Amino acid sequence: MNIETCEALRVDDRGEIGWAQLIELSGLTEAELTELVDDGALVPVDPAAPSWTFAAYSVVVARTAGRLHRDFDLDAHGLAVVLRFVARIEELERQLRKLRAGAAGG
Amino acid sequence: MKYKDYYAILGVDRNASADDIKKAYRKLARKYHPDVSKEPNAEEKFKEMSEAYETLKDPEKRAAYDQLGRYTPGQDFQPPPDWGQQFAGARTAFDDIDFADLFAGLAGRHGAAARGGRAFTSGRDYEATVHLTFDQAFHGTEIELDLSVLEFDDKGNARRVPRRIKVRIPKGVTNGQQLRIPGKGGKGVDGGRDGDLYLDIVVEPHPLYRVSGQDLYLDLPLAPWEAVLGTTVRLPTPAGAVSLKVPPGTRAGQQLRLAGRGLSRPDAAAGNLYAIVQIVVPSVVDERERALYRQLAEISNFNPRAHFEGETVHEH
Repeated sequence: MNIETCEALRVDDRGEIGWAQLIELSGLTEAELTELVDDGALVPVDPAAPSWTFAAYSVVVARTAGRLHRDFDLDAHGLAVVLRFVARIEELERQLRKLRAGAAGG
Repeated sequence: MKYKDYYAILGVDRNASADDIKKAYRKLARKYHPDVSKEPNAEEKFKEMSEAYETLKDPEKRAAYDQLGRYTPGQDFQPPPDWGQQFAGARTAFDDIDFADLFAGLAGRHGAAARGGRAFTSGRDYEATVHLTFDQAFHGTEIELDLSVLEFDDKGNARRVPRRIKVRIPKGVTNGQQLRIPGKGGKGVDGGRDGDLYLDIVVEPHPLYRVSGQDLYLDLPLAPWEAVLGTTVRLPTPAGAVSLKVPPGTRAGQQLRLAGRGLSRPDAAAGNLYAIVQIVVPSVVDERERALYRQLAEISNFNPRAHFEGETVHEH
């Protein structure tokens, strides 16, 4: 049997993605995503640019927002607050992993 | 197909109001949502309760579920013939779908009619967990995935279709990372784009290397005399062993860096490998060794606790 081979792409690639693709991948509407940008949960590379682009990692943030919106019925403002907490937790977990990995016998 | 008791999963009575169902779901979601929970099996539990809520929150799906009758959870069953007539486009065989798929088609079919028949719907995104060894993650690998994809026929009836794909995993992926395979989720309906397949990466811990971002850490045990005099050791790295020069006077806890020997990825510089010095002592020494240590203790002026001196000491 001939099996199709597919490339798995990093969601957190170091590149940039466009606004349309972010909407498509997040599962949120354009209006909801715009509110997340207004609330500072998503930050365009150049907010003054005529068409926004985002760091590719924004897909992860936007998908998390999509899940939280769907599963908890959170509005955009609530989402922005939760996303800030999630980002803080992720940063603390990253620091903890680094400390544990760097500790002898860790 | 195995019966699932959606009411029991959400912990509500079969006569529960829509509001009670929502409250029960939210309470459980706060506890088990994978984005906020560290409970063991949170993801599995959340999937189960989401499936239950997805059906019970929708009056039409809930009615269809109630019409199935009551069975013991896990019991083999087939929907009664009149159920197919009423809810599944006169379908009588249900061997090719899962329990949750019984209700998945309902909203799609009726929703399309409600929107004037123009059901421009994107395919569903799927998620699968992929377990990799450390070496597979470090070097990149190719894996085969067997999927069971939900598709809908022209009448909106769901069916499960087996699909096998080969996936190239790029090198340098780490635990908890997500990869996306575009277009390999559920089929889009009426021109809607196909969903994507997301892979949640789980990398087995390695007995030697600990991972932090793109960097790797491993413990480097040294004998006391190696730390004092310096030495050259053969150090394992995931890409092959290297010789590492340990300078004289190396302290415990010191990190010796091997640039570019960590995880690499195409879009960024490779991480580093850090050898963390541990000074270990033999648990058993023979007479001659003990004599040499005594001799060293007598002639050495080294005071490892010099910084204690001058501190006020309270005797207890």
